[in-house]
Amino acid sequence: MFRYLARRITQSALTVFLTVSGVFFLIRLAPGDPAAALSSPVATAAELDRVRAQFGLDKPLINQYWIFIKHLFTGDLGTSFSFQSSALDVVLSRLPYTITLAVTSILLTTVIAVPLGVWMARNADTAREFGANVVTIAAQSMPDFWSGIMLLTIFAVLIPVLPAAGFAGWDGLVLPTVTVAILQIALISRMVRRDMVANLNAPYLVVARARGLSNGALTWRYAMRNSAIPVLTALGTRFAAMLNGVVVVEVVFGWPGVGSLVVRALETRDYPLITATVLVTAALAVLVQLLVDLAYPLLDPRVRLGKGATS
Amino acid sequence: MSTDTATSTSSATAALAADRPSMVTAKQLSRATATRQRRSAHAKMWIGATCALLVILPVALANVLPLPGPDQQQLTARLLPPLTGGHLLGTDQLGRDLLSRILHGGQVSLTVGVLAVVVSGIIGIVAGSAAGFLGGWVDSAVSRLLEAQLSLPLLMMLLLVVALFGSSIPVITFVIAVAQWPEVARLTRSLVLVEREKPYVAAARVLGLHRIAILVRHVLPNVIKRATVVVLLLLAQAVLLESALSYLGAGPQRPFATWGRIISDGQDFVTTSWWLVTMPGLVIAILVVGVNLFGDGLRDRVRRRKGSDT
Repeated sequence: MFRYLARRITQSALTVFLTVSGVFFLIRLAPGDPAAALSSPVATAAELDRVRAQFGLDKPLINQYWIFIKHLFTGDLGTSFSFQSSALDVVLSRLPYTITLAVTSILLTTVIAVPLGVWMARNADTAREFGANVVTIAAQSMPDFWSGIMLLTIFAVLIPVLPAAGFAGWDGLVLPTVTVAILQIALISRMVRRDMVANLNAPYLVVARARGLSNGALTWRYAMRNSAIPVLTALGTRFAAMLNGVVVVEVVFGWPGVGSLVVRALETRDYPLITATVLVTAALAVLVQLLVDLAYPLLDPRVRLGKGATS
Repeated sequence: MSTDTATSTSSATAALAADRPSMVTAKQLSRATATRQRRSAHAKMWIGATCALLVILPVALANVLPLPGPDQQQLTARLLPPLTGGHLLGTDQLGRDLLSRILHGGQVSLTVGVLAVVVSGIIGIVAGSAAGFLGGWVDSAVSRLLEAQLSLPLLMMLLLVVALFGSSIPVITFVIAVAQWPEVARLTRSLVLVEREKPYVAAARVLGLHRIAILVRHVLPNVIKRATVVVLLLLAQAVLLESALSYLGAGPQRPFATWGRIISDGQDFVTTSWWLVTMPGLVIAILVVGVNLFGDGLRDRVRRRKGSDT
């Protein structure tokens, strides 16, 4: 167990480290003077020289990388140009908003998608289910920024019941959450359906039915217990993806999270801020995946972490 | 004579028996799960193909259709609602014909989508089949890469690449392809893993064929069909991803503004001119629904033929 944990944490740290290194090399691979890219767009020649000295851009690439790593381990990712403070602090101050949005969205998704998927599995290949099937396909086919703008127009402009943008109060959370959840509900419910159909047709379920168990017990206590792991994996993956992927929705609603921050950082070419954002979100996503993996034995006693575990 | 009357009296039952030598009636057959599945797969494919062609055909024919140019401004006819002044979908804030903008922008969006999907399909199939068939270090390298990409802040990385290397069509195509190859690779790998254990592979090996030759000439033809269905579904995602990138201002700027860009341009006018946002979004949604439905129906069919799940 502890060896498994140690191995997984090492792996996760390595993934995050390689990602941030990737960003480091991308910025230096890009055409143009990295000093210009790493300083503010209105930098003077003297400032450019200072940046060159600070990042050691006159040194060979490998030395630069070494300096970058040393800074990385002290938590120093440079100073954000637009905020004039530590890039890491700026990102961390925005993080609670993104996490709030992701958590409410995943809760809404779970509450709707799991029962919907189960219903679709139990009514598999009927006309009703075909309708639900088409609706979920439609829901995963809408661009999320578009459905966001549509919801915004309907519920904040035409029928002004909800605030339009920003984080004014808890009701400001409703529209972004729904927008994010639409796509996730479609994806998760289809996944639940696929997995549950297989379980509902499994021989063990026929035996359980022969013993006279109710449909509810069959579905939830038997089939769902076996679908729990794939469903949890999917939810965990979606949650991790949301932490990075709500960028677009945050921009639509002016949500003060990491996503709208990174878009602004990209517009202003605020590279320390971008590096910090990538570091924080990658670390968070990897952490979520790790927690999901650790939850497996709780759901399925057959799973023993670390013993001949593959994939 | 007598035989004639005999056949005529029992002709109904005889004909029925000849068609269907069992007690199962046509009604029961039409209610059977397999029939219903086949019918729903068919329905999906037809509805999907119709929706997709409804968008693809006009986009392909945009240069032939009698439309004003997408960049032709007419400042006297600004923000016209749909169906007025000879503009089917109305005009935008500069008096440009919205339909023309959507169709010409669609040419760029679709080109990027198709190119990206082809590139990611090739990368995915090559990497996935190599990982599945060769195993060993190739497999662990590819699998690690797949896992790592799952946990990466993908959209941010894509935005960063576009910001650094410019929003030209090749860069955006490459970026979308990189975002999508894992899906193809994972599926191809799992299919090849199953296929590898089949007797014909052992037979080919006994005949002395090289491993690569077995993979390319014998294994790949057996998995390529199901892998390409996923590639088709990826086209839908590629179009969505491209529109998200261009909504955020990281889409191709030339030759025409793409769908996401048209929406973000129209967003400022959404309270007064609803069509500027609604129409391009609807076009994206119809196309993507079409491709998704078609791909889904196709996958159902292929899956049943092969008799295993994907």
